[in-house]
Amino acid sequence: MSAIIGGIGIGRTAVVAEALQISPTPALPSWSKTSNSVEAESKILTAAITEIEAQFKQLIAANDGSSGEILEALSEILIDEALFETATTFLEQGWSAAASFGKATDSFCELLSGDPAMEERSLDVQDLSKRVQAVIAGIDLGLHIPSTGFYVVVADDFSPADTSQFSASVVGVITKAGGPTSHTSIICRSRGIPALVGAKLAGQLESGTSVLLDPLGNRAVVGGLIGDATPALEYVPKREQPIIQVLANIGSVDDALLAAKTSASGVGLFRTEFLYLNRTQEPSVEVQILDYSKVFTAAPAGPIIVRTFDPEGDKPLQFMGLEPKASLTNYRVLELRREVLANQLRAVEGARQSTGREVWVMAPMIGSAKEALDFADLARNSGNFKVGVMVEQLSLISDIGKLSGTIDFLSVGTNDLAQSLFNLDRQNSINPDLLDPWHPEFLLALSQIADSAKQAEISVSVCGEVAANPAFALVLAQLGFGSVSVAPREVEAVSAALRS
Amino acid sequence: MKNIESTIAVIDPIGLHARPASQIVKAVRQSGLTVLIGRKGGKLIKANSPLQLMALKIKTGETLTVSVETDDEAAAAALFAELQGLLKG
Repeated sequence: MSAIIGGIGIGRTAVVAEALQISPTPALPSWSKTSNSVEAESKILTAAITEIEAQFKQLIAANDGSSGEILEALSEILIDEALFETATTFLEQGWSAAASFGKATDSFCELLSGDPAMEERSLDVQDLSKRVQAVIAGIDLGLHIPSTGFYVVVADDFSPADTSQFSASVVGVITKAGGPTSHTSIICRSRGIPALVGAKLAGQLESGTSVLLDPLGNRAVVGGLIGDATPALEYVPKREQPIIQVLANIGSVDDALLAAKTSASGVGLFRTEFLYLNRTQEPSVEVQILDYSKVFTAAPAGPIIVRTFDPEGDKPLQFMGLEPKASLTNYRVLELRREVLANQLRAVEGARQSTGREVWVMAPMIGSAKEALDFADLARNSGNFKVGVMVEQLSLISDIGKLSGTIDFLSVGTNDLAQSLFNLDRQNSINPDLLDPWHPEFLLALSQIADSAKQAEISVSVCGEVAANPAFALVLAQLGFGSVSVAPREVEAVSAALRS
Repeated sequence: MKNIESTIAVIDPIGLHARPASQIVKAVRQSGLTVLIGRKGGKLIKANSPLQLMALKIKTGETLTVSVETDDEAAAAALFAELQGLLKG
């Protein structure tokens, strides 16, 4: 057995804990119509609800105090008569049991939106709905991670639904798939959980064995001790201010609050789609204004750069009605759903006015100067913003010169840029080495972008995950980037390097 | 049968949120009575759905109107007392 498992380390803190292999959870089937009778589907739905109710009864018996009370409230919501009636109206329209319950849940969650205390419950209610849908599909959704003890969880990869189940007992994550920019990496970085991704030999780790997860050493060591971990490079700050600005990447009010506690001089990337991942209907302009206002209010002082919806294949926005892994570039997708983009820009302007914050907007996945100028026109007509675009498609790099005088700023999304450069799939990297930010071709591309932006007199920053590596942030500063934006938890480490 | 009405103050610091909403629906179901609830002066809805009660977005300090369809005044009074207890927080 190999005692050392290589991969790409995420985070800086090493941990020793018991390995726990997790079997993958299949995705829920998409919602569909059925030729079955309403009665037959209604029976299926009732049976699924009854089964989840029984599971909750067991959980309630095992939990007392406030968590028991929450479970009791949820089990009452599960058998909510109005919810079932609404589901029945969808059954009558020919939707399957799972689809009808999902749609009914969505319509109620829509009613609860706009109120923070209720919206938190919406997430729980959506989780309930997913459990019911999973029972109907015969899928076991649980990761079955014990809530006591400490584990390094190991799997081929984790979906967003999986990572949302990580409890405090998950102290480390090892995945066979993925690179520094995959979903698991982003979540682990934002939650401060050390991880090793792209670990091809992850399957060899046996549950129950003690493992050292050494992210800085890009390895896991079976039976390793914490003292064996690779020490972090120490940067001794010598300046008051970093040589280039450090901003924060956020995707929620919680992230914004976390960022506000750091020295971040603004928000370099607000991933708006993170607010609406599970929506099947486009959030109204009013709802968006409320949601953005909450984030703007919580965000650290300085400009807030809002990225318009980025409907990628790995986190599709259901309400856009797109197939996962849409082959169109995202800006093309947004063009097809132009009213969605226009509504969003109106909402961002509404939130800007109501909070009085300095707001910039940028579009993702721009492939040419023409697309960039098209977006700039729309954005300037929608509100009082500085307007920028993300550089993450190779095709835009040669067009940067044409943006001179028309675009206020550029922001490099290194995640998608690396993907575009090496023609990789972000989630299933065949060769994780190619997602290594130190790859010469990647560095060359970054250098070209910085040079072209300088010639075009457009300020340029990097908001991709690679900037979270303090040593890499120093390199970006040398290449000529004017700022970097990183997860809130990485702000201080990156800032320390940039002050050294 | 007549309708007996009463008002209930929402003292719970988070307002009419998931826990009290669910407890109200459960208490109403166990009472076997037909009960309507709503914001005082507003439209009343059937108290059989915690989600619809939550969707009223009733805040701390607001007053609810509760209407019970029964001739049994003692049963109505007992239910009002129970519901008020659930909204104490």
